[in-house]
Amino acid sequence: MAVNMAVSRIKREFKEVLKSDEIAQCSIKLELANDNFTELRGEIAGPPDTPYEKGTFLLEIHVPETYPFNPPKVKFITKIWHPNISSVTGAICLDILKDNWAAAMTLRTVLLSLQALLAAAEPDDPQDAVVASQFKDNYEMFCKTAKHWTNVYAKGPHKFPDFDAKVQRLRDMGVNDFDARAALSRHNWDINLATNDIF
Amino acid sequence: MSSSQTTTVNDPHLDNTTTTNNDTLPNNNSQEPSTSTDSSQYRSSTQYSFKPPPENSKTSTKPDLDDNEEEKRDDSMYVCNICLDIAKESVITMCGHLFCWPCLNCWLETKPQRQLCPVCKAAISKDKVVPLYGRNNEKQQDPRSKKSPPRPQAQRTEPDNSQNYQGFQSFGDAGFHLSFGIGAFPFVFFGSSFNFNDIRQRNGQNGSQFEEDQFLSKVFLWVAIIFFCWLILA
Ligand SMILES: [Zn+2]
Ligand SMILES: [Zn+2]
Repeated sequence: MAVNMAVSRIKREFKEVLKSDEIAQCSIKLELANDNFTELRGEIAGPPDTPYEKGTFLLEIHVPETYPFNPPKVKFITKIWHPNISSVTGAICLDILKDNWAAAMTLRTVLLSLQALLAAAEPDDPQDAVVASQFKDNYEMFCKTAKHWTNVYAKGPHKFPDFDAKVQRLRDMGVNDFDARAALSRHNWDINLATNDIF
Repeated sequence: MSSSQTTTVNDPHLDNTTTTNNDTLPNNNSQEPSTSTDSSQYRSSTQYSFKPPPENSKTSTKPDLDDNEEEKRDDSMYVCNICLDIAKESVITMCGHLFCWPCLNCWLETKPQRQLCPVCKAAISKDKVVPLYGRNNEKQQDPRSKKSPPRPQAQRTEPDNSQNYQGFQSFGDAGFHLSFGIGAFPFVFFGSSFNFNDIRQRNGQNGSQFEEDQFLSKVFLWVAIIFFCWLILA
């Protein structure tokens, strides 16, 4: 019974999302990743006036058998620099995906809440402690880094040639692209600190 | 009236971020002329419940009964906030939110320590929901008094340990006899050890089973002796 309930609800929700205004505005997207409505792909647009603006962020959504009584499991596939999202795994710290889930919430409200999370980070309840402390201690650096990640991983428009150059220098030393960028981001783009961190 | 009401039912506005601007949408659903002022949400939910008829909702597939259009318009107001289908065995919370009783019950059982309305997160309880009885409600029976459908169960296969199980079973039996028959204790004890023999024979021979039974027999023997001493001393 539980399986049927989860599947029939996802089917209804799926149609709801397809007809929603947000789809029309290309603000959120939802598609099936398998045939039995348990794995889905979400997509959210970075909200305007944030470092994520004009970026496109992909999400992996797993619907448990006990849905909607338990929340869907969601994580970012697209790499993102945000206090409440792990820069490494994409794991999300958001109350409604944990204790504050309610059975009347839908995948649409989840996607919209994630969009809202991008617009309003909560550094005091972080998933990624390094990002959160940068957010609090050096907000300007945080914004630049987040914009850079949006550019590199989410097709955002803002290029940072000096950041790219530093990543290239570490790559020349044999570090892979992501590790180089993550280390530099963690150390406010100080290449010496980043190098020490890696080697 | 129906427009705003429906919106609340379908779209819980759980977070402040759900900015729906339903009313600004031009109405472009020509196939439903009766619903001229409805939002997209309203439209879509009606379509779910009517176009591909869901397995279990008989109301939607019934073509006869009086005014079909009227029925269509009203149905979407009665969509359960959990399964998103027309509510069955409907109940309404004190905060005004509609659910199927089985759906709400399952939610309350999922979070027994935090009983909150799934829509608005108001505190709710089993005793404070109001069952809804419509005119054509077959039997006006409080849905809460019915046995709710079995809870979803996790998929788990038991390891194959029927042998041990047998052992436990006979142990349980013996325990039962012991506690009931203090007066006739020794007889019951012998009875239960006969049982062991029986089971062993029925099960075919198995070394470990045999040893286990032997062990149990010994345990009971000692228990019986201690009991006996106690009876005599007391
Ligand atoms: Zn329901
Ligand atoms: Zn409520």
